[in-house]
Order: sequence, then structure tokens, then C-alpha cells
Amino acid sequence: MNSQVEQALANLKSGNPEDVERALETLQEVVYGFGMKVCGVREDAEDTAQETLIRLARQLKEFPDARALAVWLYKVAKTQCLMSRRKSKFAPAQMLSLDALMPKESAGAAPAVKSWEITPEEIVLNKELRSKLEDAVLALPKPYRLVLILRDMEQLDTREVAEVMGISEETTKMRLHRARVFLRNALAGYVQRAQPPGRKEHG
Amino acid sequence: MADRHCKQVFAMLSEYLDGELPVKNCRQLERHLKGCRPCIAYLESLKTTVEACRRYKAPRAPALSKQVKAALLAAVRQVISIYLSE
Repeated sequence: MNSQVEQALANLKSGNPEDVERALETLQEVVYGFGMKVCGVREDAEDTAQETLIRLARQLKEFPDARALAVWLYKVAKTQCLMSRRKSKFAPAQMLSLDALMPKESAGAAPAVKSWEITPEEIVLNKELRSKLEDAVLALPKPYRLVLILRDMEQLDTREVAEVMGISEETTKMRLHRARVFLRNALAGYVQRAQPPGRKEHG
Repeated sequence: MADRHCKQVFAMLSEYLDGELPVKNCRQLERHLKGCRPCIAYLESLKTTVEACRRYKAPRAPALSKQVKAALLAAVRQVISIYLSE
């Protein structure tokens, strides 16, 4: 669960004007960040944050705890984000097949195991790699993209992601794995020195 | 044999990383990993990808316009005053 949301709810309910203002800024930051990851367009992320906060202000009383607020917040933001992108170029809503994503290797040769040399720090700090990560996320078909962003970037747990998405936990896990493999393969293809562990013919 | 097992293991890697894999499958996966360097390397690269996502920070949000902020604060204050008076 997002600790920022927890703090923001406490601040909102305090009634203290300064705390309320700080809470709104925090929640705007959370929703805008989510919108940027999902839509990749600043204007859409701004609209998403604004619309979501307006709805939140009206429904504030209905959230008994931070978990309920976080699930609601992401659910509304997700809908807003998808609506704002309807006229734009979302990645096609295709299914990702695990078989197709699995690494393959030319038959016969023993797989050469090389280390995958991208580090998380590089992706965060290196502008080019960061941009590649953003592009790879945006290239994911939206059902997979949303699950990946909610689980790995927003760090919700599997049950919370399933609730936001309105799908089962099993489907959530299946989509998450395919999305991660898609992303991993996309980044490996970009950095020449970082080869996959060997293209091996499976099954 | 290795190929069939690689395929089974490949499907379980994310659940394994998340600590959500049932114990029985976990043992099966760990047995396989002991003898399969490509699968170990793939698992490591998947872990790096997940870690990169966790560390990724979106660009900062622009400040809310004064008008929007004022409207939001008024709406929140109204809800809170009802909430606190209950």
C-alpha cells in the first residue's frame, strides 16, 4: 500500500487547513505520476489528477482507511486515464502469449550464459534507459500495462491490483508475469551488451 | 527433460520473485534452478527489471492552479466539517 496515501488521508481528516492542502498536493502527485506512467502524456495526466481529486473531495467521507482510499483512487484514475486516451494511440489491446515471450535458442548449441548488465540504478539515472523503460511500458497492451504499473511501480499488492482492475488474483498474476517478461525482453534488446541468458528451444 | 522443465519454471518466475508461489512449486523451481544456468540468469534479469520499475519515479506534477486548489479546498472543508460534526 502506498504510504503517501496513508499519510494524506490522515492529513485530510485532521481538518487542519495546512495539512489538508499538503494532503491534496500529495494525492495530486500520486495520481499525476500514475497518469504519466499509464498515458505518457502530460496533459492527460493533469486532467486525470484534477478529475480524480474533484471526485475525491466529494466522496471523502466514504473512506474508512487508507487502503480503501488507495484502491478507489487508482480505480478512478485508471478510468479517467483511459477515457482521456480514447482518441489517442494506446497500444493495441492484444494478448501477450507466454510461449511467444519465452526466450528461444538455436538448436544444438549450448546456451552461453551472460550476465544481464543493466542495473536498476542505470535505468533510474540514465536518461536514455529511463526513456526506454517508459517506451516499453507504453508499448504494453493496456490490460498488462495497468497491472504492471499498479503492482511494480505503485507497489500495490496482488489483491489490491485485482480490486482496482476488477479481475481475479490469478488473472492479475498471469498478466503481471507476461508484462514483466515483455519489459525485460524490450530492455535487453536495447542494450547490446546485455544479452538474454541464451535463446534456448523450450518444449 | 530440461526444456520441459524450463518452460514450467519460466511460467512461475514472477510468483517466485513475489514470494507468492506455493511451497511445492517453490521446491520444484529451486531444484531446477540448481542445474539450469540460463534459467538462473533469466530470473536475475527479471528481478532487475522489477527492481527498476520499483525505483522508477514519474516526473513531478505541476502545481495545481489557484482556482482548482481553492475549489478543492472548499469542497474538502465542507466534507470535513460535516465529518467532524458527526
